[in-house]
This record gives sequence, C-alpha cells and structure tokens, in this order.
Amino acid sequence: MDVKRIRLDFPMLQGSAGNKSITYLDNACQSLRPKQVIDAINSYYLKSSACSGRSMHQLAAEVTRGVDQARGTIAKCLNAIKKEEIVFTRNTTEGINLVAHSLGLRSGDTVLISDKEHNSNLIPWQMLAKKNGIRVKIVPSKPDNTFDLDAYRTMFDKRVRLVSFGMTSNLDGVSIPAADVIKIAHQAGALVMLDAAQTAPHKAINVKALDVDFLAFSGHKMLGPSGIGVLYGKYSLLERIDPFLVGGDTVSSSTYETCEFLPPPEKFEAGLQDYAGIIGLGAAVKYLQDVGFDAIQKQELLINEAISAEIKDIPGLRLIGPADPHLRSGIVSFYIDGIDSHRIALMLDQMAAVMVRSGQHCVHSWFHAHQIKGTVRASSYFYTTLEDAALFTSSLKKIIKVL
Amino acid sequence: MFCIVAFVVLSILGIFSATNRALAKESLDCVFRRVTFRPCNTGFDEKMKAKILGTVITRSEVAARLINNNFELLSWIFFVLLTASSIWTARGLYLFYATGSCNGLNQSGFCVFDPNGNNNQVSALSATCKVTPTTEKDLTLIPVDLTVFPVKNSPSKEKIVMIGCYACDYTRQTYPMIQTLVNKSGASFTFLDYPVKTKSDYLTKVGYCLYRQDAASYWKFNDILFGADKTTFETEVYVQKTLTSLGVDAAKTLACTNDAKTEDAVKAQMKQITATNFYGTPTVFINGQVLVGPKPYRVYAIMLQGLLFWLR
Repeated sequence: MDVKRIRLDFPMLQGSAGNKSITYLDNACQSLRPKQVIDAINSYYLKSSACSGRSMHQLAAEVTRGVDQARGTIAKCLNAIKKEEIVFTRNTTEGINLVAHSLGLRSGDTVLISDKEHNSNLIPWQMLAKKNGIRVKIVPSKPDNTFDLDAYRTMFDKRVRLVSFGMTSNLDGVSIPAADVIKIAHQAGALVMLDAAQTAPHKAINVKALDVDFLAFSGHKMLGPSGIGVLYGKYSLLERIDPFLVGGDTVSSSTYETCEFLPPPEKFEAGLQDYAGIIGLGAAVKYLQDVGFDAIQKQELLINEAISAEIKDIPGLRLIGPADPHLRSGIVSFYIDGIDSHRIALMLDQMAAVMVRSGQHCVHSWFHAHQIKGTVRASSYFYTTLEDAALFTSSLKKIIKVL
Repeated sequence: MFCIVAFVVLSILGIFSATNRALAKESLDCVFRRVTFRPCNTGFDEKMKAKILGTVITRSEVAARLINNNFELLSWIFFVLLTASSIWTARGLYLFYATGSCNGLNQSGFCVFDPNGNNNQVSALSATCKVTPTTEKDLTLIPVDLTVFPVKNSPSKEKIVMIGCYACDYTRQTYPMIQTLVNKSGASFTFLDYPVKTKSDYLTKVGYCLYRQDAASYWKFNDILFGADKTTFETEVYVQKTLTSLGVDAAKTLACTNDAKTEDAVKAQMKQITATNFYGTPTVFINGQVLVGPKPYRVYAIMLQGLLFWLR
C-alpha cells in the first residue's frame, strides 16, 4: 500500500492547523474523509438533491439508484445474503436502540454485555431494565482485558435472549472472538447483536460466515459522512420485529385506524433519509474495498507496533489491554500515574498538532469499576505513517519529562 | 488564582476575538467558583495550563518544567502583579482626570493619556531670563502683595491668581479657560502679567495704565489680545487701534506708559511676581493650590469646585 499516495486523497492531511501540519491519531472517534467521499456528497447536493423512492421524476430516480447502489455496496462488503438486510440508521447507537426497542424483550429476559461496553451498548439495556424489567448481565474480561470465553459460557441460562457485545473495543482495540461468541449464543438459543463501530472500518466482516443476527456500525469512523450508520439484520429477523421509529416511508398504506408496513428495510427507515450521507457512505465503503482490508490491518499493526515499542519503557505508563499490539487493532490506550490524560492530549495538540483522544471514551462504567480517571488514546488508520507515530512518541516523551 | 488572571486578560482580548471571548466566559465560571471558596472543577485552568506548557515546551523544556512545577506560585505572582497594576492604572486614571497627569499634579513623568506631556508644558522663564530654575515646591503666594495687580470679582472667597504672558502659547491656551471658569463661578481673578517673551514687554505697561484708567476695558483688552494672532500685537499701532475700538483714550494710555512712575510700578509688580518663585507660564494658583502648565478645563474646575464640578 502506498500510504503517501493515499494521503493525497485526504484534504485534511494537506491542510494545516496553525503553522503545523496535523498528525491525526483520533480515528477511533472519527476518521478523516477522502475527496472521493466528499465529491460523492457534493455531487448529490449539486446535481440531484431530491427524494428517493417517492417521486417519479428523473432526479428522484437518480437518487433512488444512488441509495440502492450504496445499499448494495455495503451488503456486498458485509457478504450479506441480500441488500434488504441493510438498514440505514444515523449511527451505531441508533442501530442498537432499534434492536433494543424492537425485539420485544420482556421482564426477566436476559441480555449479556461485556464489562467494557461503550455507552451506546450499555444505556439502551439499562433503560430497558428499568422500563421492561429485563436483566442485564455483565461478562467480565480477563485481567489483560481480552475476552473471557470461559466466563462467557457460564453466564448462560434459559432466560438469555440476547448477547450484545462490542466486536472491537474502543477502549483498548481488543476484539472479541466473534465466531465463538455467536456459536455459543446460538447453541443456547440466544440472538447476537454486535457493535461493529470499531471493527467495520478496519477488518473485513463476513456476516454470513459469522452467522451474526444483528450488526451495527457508523459511517463517520470509516471515511463516511457523520450522521449515517448501518444496521445489518438477518432478513427473517427484520421481517419479524416491529419497527422502532415509524411514520413516512415505512408503510405501503394506512387508514385512520391501521397501517400496512413495507417489508424491510423500508419499514425501519422512517422519514426522509440522509441521502447524501448514504451515497457518501457507499463511496467510503468502495474506497475501503479498493484499499483492501488486509492492507489496512497491516498498516495499522505496523503503527501500533512502532508506538507500543517506543512507549513500553516509559516509567509510570500503564497500557490498557494486552501488551501484544496484534491484539489491539489500531488503538494504543494508556495512562500515566499522576498525570491528567487531558493535559497530555492538550499538550500534544498544542506543541505538535498531534490529535489524540483523552478521558473515558464513553466507557465510563469500566473506568469507574477500575478507578481510573481516564486514558490517552492514540488510534491510527491506514493513512497514518511511521513519521506520525514517531512524532507522537517523541512529543509524549518530552511531555512526560516536563510533567 | 490562575483563572482570575486569565479572566481579566481574556476579557480584554475578548473585545477583539470571539475565541478569547468564549474562553473568558469559561474562566468566569472558574472565577466564580474560586471566589466562593470552591475548587475550580471546570477544567479551565487545566486546559490553559496544558496550552501554555504545550507552547513553552517547544522552545525550552527547562522553562516548561519550571512553569509546571511552580504554576500556582506563578499564578499568585501574576495575580499580585495584576492587582497592583490595576490599582496603579486606576490611580493613574483618577490623577489624569483630576490633575491632567497620570503621575499627579504638575508631575511631568510619562502618562499614556498625555504622552507628550502637553498638560505640564510651560514657557520657561529660565530660557529668556537666565535665572536659576525653581521647582513646583518653591511656588508660593505668601510674600506676594496681590493688591498691585488687576483683579476681577475681588469680593469672592474663591481666588484664582494667574501668572501669564500675552505672547506665550501655553498662557494663551489657558487664559480663555480660566476666564470661562471665572465667569461661571464668580471667583476672584488676579492676573499677573510677566512678559516671558520680550516682544510683549511694553504690553505690561499698557495693561497697568489701562487698568487704572478703566478696569472693565482692561479685561476686554486682555480678551482681545489673548484671542488675536500674537504677531499682531508686537506693534504699537495695533495696540492703539484696539484701545480706540474699546472707546478708550489711546493717547492718554500710551502717554501713561512712558511715565517714570509707571516704569517704577511695573518694576515693583515684576518684583512681586518673582517672589512667587515661578519658573514658567502659565502658573495658576487656585485657592493657594498651584497648577503649572496648561491643564484641561476640568482640572481647574475641580481645583475650584471639587470633583463633581459639573453638577454645579
């Protein structure tokens, strides 16, 4: 992979913050966008900003075609059986909420989640527990924060209806053994929902091979526009569950008393959709496919290895997750005894325009349980270079010397 | 303490920049917590500290470490300096308003509101008279017999005495203001003409004679001279015409100026003026308080009627 050539596609990497060019290491929060995606969004607004599916004119037909193509591209990328299994949402959070509120979970039903879920995959279940009386059981991780398959097995009883895990943790980059997790859940008669927000941008996902029931991810972490996301669901399940949001474009007909819902995915896509976002996401997925997920993973690992090697001997630095960078995707998350993580992040930004995330990364529950105030999280992507990694580590070392 | 310093600085910078305005707002919350004896938990001080350290570290790691280790102490130092300079600035503003100089009455040190020191300029006596310069502290009216000089509104308790010179620019700037004040307040006004510029020497004698001849015409004559181009009254013809225009017997007045008694009287007046130890014109005494140089009108009014003179 020619990273230098790829970087030319990203206008943000050509610009500068103040008088320094940026070193963007906050990709777990949001990725940068290539001009191909920006052009696709612009093209919608400049050439065909009309409704999809409803109107009969040529502009509407063009948008319908664009949305359909994007759905097809994403379905193909996930190896879904049919493109109707792809439901467009605003983001991963909305996808999880859709499942949480549509599955018809009742009092006593159990949902399993891990001990380091993003709030997106914690709060919806907490709310259901309060509202419907479902039980939420937490699967503990191993001491090195990797998934504890044995502990997971012991959590099952007849009442477990759903397993909902982050496929890759935004806290430390650790991925769960998804195939095993799904197999065990299905053997116990439970459905599986995967939060793939941190997986879809970095690894090829084969939903058919995984046999996953639901899988949600966001566009903004994988070169796509913000405000667009995807929920994959097995068609038979999507047919069976009720829609979460209802209204315009979800029904084929209605009377004053009743209505007839459209088949999936339309029945879940209420109201006018973010067509520019959908088309932009389609372009983003296509771009990622062209780069190739193997190449993406290889580059991220290269960066993670470089950073991990440089920081491993820093006194007082505590890495979150396993020491082996192969197990942490593109994420390096750490804290330093006695130093506020925000201060490090702000100083990195101020002194070298190195942009990282600091704090609790929406995984407050894990931080509270471990009594850690926060971490600095550097997250790379395939356009991150070894020079970026070197600048980050050298700046970090300088900061630690001063603080 | 840092947030208090930051609030003041950012508030000033915020006048010109929206970014700083937002930061000033943030710092205000922090200030509010500190003044109510609660810890600043807004993260503002942390954020600013990191930004400062992030900038300094690129230039000197030693300086950055020093700042980091002594941040609270440095904040206190800046707070004390800020407080002191604020008090100093307020004092300067007050003094400028009340005396025309940030440094106090008749003080000629640098003042940002009067950078050229115009309010303390004088037509210096030493420049023409070759006398040893005196200072403001030496100025006095105690040994001076003011009865030998022209006086207006003499019964008033409020007394203004002005030493001036017809041809001196700073006197010409001040005289109309003093007249306005005298007319408004009804204060007694004594004018001591001391011709610092030799070209206007003879006017002292003209003034002496005219005042004795017709006091009202003398004050009108003064008004005309201080309003006229100063090159015009260097000639006797102009004076003659002016006196005639005032309905005064010009011949009689001019004849008086050549009288030996007039010469002696004027010399006596000069002796009295010299006894004040003045060192330049204008020098104005308002109820004994001396003001050297052309002050703004408000300064004379404050000396006579107090800070709230404009309410009278």
